[in-house]
Amino acid sequence: MSATDANGLASAQSASGGIGIANLPNQLHKIVTKKGTNFSLMVVGESGTGKTTFINTLLTTEIIEPLEDAARRKKQLDKTVDINIHKAELEEKMFNVKLNVVDTPGFGDFVNNIDCWLPVVDFIENQYEQYLRQEQQPVRKGIVDMRVHACLYFIRPNGHTLKPLDVRAMKAIGARVNLIPVIAKADTLSPAALRQFKKRVMDVIDAQSIRIYQPPVDSEDESTSLRNKDIVSAMPFAIIGSTQEVKTPDGRHVKGRQYPWGVAEVENDQHCDFKKLRSLLIRTHMLDLISTTEEVHYDKYRTTQMKTRKFGEPKPRKADNKKFREEEEMLRKRFTEKVKLEENRFRQWEQKLIAERDRLNKDLEQEHNLVKQLESEIEAISSVNSPNGKFFRK
Amino acid sequence: MAPSAPSINSTNSRMATPRPSSYRYKSEKRGMTYNIMLVGQSGLGRRTFLNTLCEREVIAPAEPPNPDTANVADPMRFDTYEVNLEEEGTRISLTVIDTPGFGDGLDNTECFKQLQDYIEAQFDEVLVEESRIKRNRRYRDHRIHTLIYFITPTGHSLRELDIELIKRLGEYVNIIPVIGRADSLTVEELATFKQNVMRDIDYYKLPLYNFCWDESDSEALKENREIMDYTPFSVVTCDEVIDNEYGAVRVRRYPWGSIEIDDEGQCDFALLRYILLNSHIADLINYTEDVLYENYRTKKLEVGGFGDQEVDGDDDEDDEEPVAAKKE
Repeated sequence: MSATDANGLASAQSASGGIGIANLPNQLHKIVTKKGTNFSLMVVGESGTGKTTFINTLLTTEIIEPLEDAARRKKQLDKTVDINIHKAELEEKMFNVKLNVVDTPGFGDFVNNIDCWLPVVDFIENQYEQYLRQEQQPVRKGIVDMRVHACLYFIRPNGHTLKPLDVRAMKAIGARVNLIPVIAKADTLSPAALRQFKKRVMDVIDAQSIRIYQPPVDSEDESTSLRNKDIVSAMPFAIIGSTQEVKTPDGRHVKGRQYPWGVAEVENDQHCDFKKLRSLLIRTHMLDLISTTEEVHYDKYRTTQMKTRKFGEPKPRKADNKKFREEEEMLRKRFTEKVKLEENRFRQWEQKLIAERDRLNKDLEQEHNLVKQLESEIEAISSVNSPNGKFFRK
Repeated sequence: MAPSAPSINSTNSRMATPRPSSYRYKSEKRGMTYNIMLVGQSGLGRRTFLNTLCEREVIAPAEPPNPDTANVADPMRFDTYEVNLEEEGTRISLTVIDTPGFGDGLDNTECFKQLQDYIEAQFDEVLVEESRIKRNRRYRDHRIHTLIYFITPTGHSLRELDIELIKRLGEYVNIIPVIGRADSLTVEELATFKQNVMRDIDYYKLPLYNFCWDESDSEALKENREIMDYTPFSVVTCDEVIDNEYGAVRVRRYPWGSIEIDDEGQCDFALLRYILLNSHIADLINYTEDVLYENYRTKKLEVGGFGDQEVDGDDDEDDEEPVAAKKE
């Protein structure tokens, strides 16, 4: 395409007399195609909301493997929110994308879920921090960019409204990253209930000032504007995920979920908003997601940090999670115990050495005394002998 | 101890109608006292379950929630609804206690204690009533006979909330686990989920209601074993009633098809309803009165009475002997 364009431009050049700056987009296209890009997507939500299935459906490959029983039970016991990063490289028509998918098992799954969004927020901020520090290094080649470009928050479809956990978590997350709320397992709500639920969710989002990602709507192209408006009006997206192919009653083979009463299709706009979300994430707005992350969210972080910190100074660490504090205490206790043991050992050693030294000193003294004694004897003898020294010397 | 609900002869409970007896006839006018508690997180279909169970709108749909207070959880409360039903000739005076707010907050550790206190309070009331010199003939028994617990259909296994609840309340009340919104699971997923849930129940040794507690009747035992294979029961609740060639059918409609609520091949609602209101109503009541309540009573009296609710000190001692004899 670029070759013909170059030719076309060459002729245009001779015709209109331009210098050829209009060729820049084509150069950019070549560069970007060669360089590939980096995209980080985060999924947050309670277990069982379909996060794993959604990611695998979106990317049509099994990026995240489902957990088995024993692992799941162990997870229930440790009561923490983990951050798992799955990396993949996707290639389509010679274009590479280094994809990072960040999963958050344990979020909202326990009896006490207070502050369960803190690990998520910390992770997001840490990525900004890492990038900031790498940027400030003398050598900036090979920067690892793990900044999260989009965070999908999976809302359980309870048919009423957002839970307090959802509200608090979304508020905290939306202030730092592009937040896209998603209604999980939407095939459990009837169309009327779904519409009502969507409206209620948006009402709460407005009332609670939760910041969500607003894709740009207008563009020069009329059809694009229309499509964008369509996408925006469908938020929050109701999705169904499935990696299996099933046969519908009328004979088509589609990706969907088969129930005894029918097949819920993933890619059918009447059934769910999967196609719109996929379009948003990948086909139409991926670049916007990346650029808003860099230009808006990261920049906000950078500004606030640089105002309070000097160049090159490390980030001050806040008081950590309560659970970690307990672990820290335990570790500290163990450490001091070990140190005490070692100190005891050293003290004993020292004492032994001192005892040894004393003993040796005593021996030395004894010898010394002996020597002195002998010396004094010699003197005594010599002094006794000295008046008659000549007399005895023969 | 006069039972406040008539006990239907269990040996005949082969999913059959209860045998009429003159004693029963007297209280039939009022209906059998039957108390069910519904527990589960919001959005799992508790309210519509009750409406579908009673075949009429017992609980009106909730008012739209206020978006401004969405960040604060409502505390758990106990809403009581009374319904009079007639099932195959038996009148049932059903009281349903709904618990909205359970498990919806950020920190739910207080919910279990509240539920336990409520259930124990009902037992305490009966304990007091029993030991009065003059007993109230019209006394209404509020002990919870069944607790229906709604499990979230995650598709994986039990969550910490589920495990904690069953662990703590299993010794006070009959717990029947139910999968709410079961229409979000396909057939295979439902089977896997049920298996995983049962495996978790065995692993954590959770005290659910054991349908096979009465081992005297071997036929009933066989049936009960089959019933236990269905636990947890998958429940889908009714949105509307449509007319098709078979008459009025209760359905739930989607763009890709309709679920018939009463079709046993599609969900376990019909089976659960039959168990709750017909075949096992006597078993559930008997187990609560004869075992759960008695255990509670023994524990309470061993510890040393129930404080300021004593009406007459003498009565306590009189009661203890019969209890001891019965235990043997």
